[in-house]
Amino acid sequence: MTPQETGGTTTTATGIEAGTEAGEPAEEQPVAGEPPPRGRSNLLRVLATVSALVLLATGGFLLSEGQRLRDTPATANRALTDTEATTRVIGDVSSALAKVFSYSPHDTAATEEAAKRLLAGEALRQYAALFGQVERQSADQKLTLTSQAVRAGVTRLSGDSAHLLVFLDQVYEREGRAATTAAAQLSVTARLRGGHWQIVEITSR
Amino acid sequence: MARVRTTGNPPVVVAIVLAVVAAGAAGWGGWSRYDAAHDDSAAYAQARDDVLAAGEQAVQNMNTLDHARLDKGLDRWEDSTTGDLHAQLVDGRDAFVKQIRAARTVSTAEVLSGAVTELDDRAGRAGVMVALRVTVTAPEGEPAVKESRMLGQLTRTSQGWKLSALGQAPVGNTAG
Repeated sequence: MTPQETGGTTTTATGIEAGTEAGEPAEEQPVAGEPPPRGRSNLLRVLATVSALVLLATGGFLLSEGQRLRDTPATANRALTDTEATTRVIGDVSSALAKVFSYSPHDTAATEEAAKRLLAGEALRQYAALFGQVERQSADQKLTLTSQAVRAGVTRLSGDSAHLLVFLDQVYEREGRAATTAAAQLSVTARLRGGHWQIVEITSR
Repeated sequence: MARVRTTGNPPVVVAIVLAVVAAGAAGWGGWSRYDAAHDDSAAYAQARDDVLAAGEQAVQNMNTLDHARLDKGLDRWEDSTTGDLHAQLVDGRDAFVKQIRAARTVSTAEVLSGAVTELDDRAGRAGVMVALRVTVTAPEGEPAVKESRMLGQLTRTSQGWKLSALGQAPVGNTAG
């Protein structure tokens, strides 16, 4: 195909013009970049716009799909998926429960001190109400209680809030009597404050 | 030729930019979608939730039995289990049927709380801990209610997660 043929009618017109003015061969004229015929140009423009929009829409759709797949209720809960945080909260809560539910007649002050540090909110209020009783009982009956979290699992974990299930063994020792062991199952809610997990709610199961 | 056209034609510049942006958006979206579908942590989180749901249901099933509907109850026990535990239940079924028919007890269980303690997604093994309340009603006397704590091991099968071991969480075993 020669340039004139591709250029169509407009090129032919310029060719004549150029030829008359500069005496150059008509072949060089299309370099000036004459626009293609109106109809074809519009079609190309529409096609380009449509395909650009389709690509944009596809991109947007796939992006939101990806987000939807990633942000499910399951992924929002980081129990076990974030092993470090899971281990951390289990450790903090287990040791806190062992401290606040362990006391001896000579050492109730240490337990009370630990409770103020490790408990907060509803859990601290409940504990404070209970503690006067515990202190008297411990002194009167020479009762020693030792608690240990034997197993704990995280049901729900987000950035600064966690729900756990804890199996607790509680050994009661009265002076002059054989020790008895009781089992307790606790649902615990904890909040992360200043890098440490504080227990804010305890429900006996 | 192209240089002449682009500089002389702003809409063409816009069109090229738009095309590049559109192609980029499609590529980014596609990658994001692919990555999400192959996101191990999303699959792991889903497996954890599946394990907890299956584990709690199976533990409840294993603590529920009505002497008047013994076959249905024991079928459910067998459906909830796999491996050694399943084999034990199948082997001991006849003896157990006689025992329960004689005692004529009805046991119902309510799961109070549960948690997944370990999960190996690849090996298809998991551990759960469950706190539950079991009520046993005998033909005479008041129903006996007891709180119970159990540890279960689950194994992934073609029909989902099933219990492969179940027992009371020991009390007073301070070595744990």
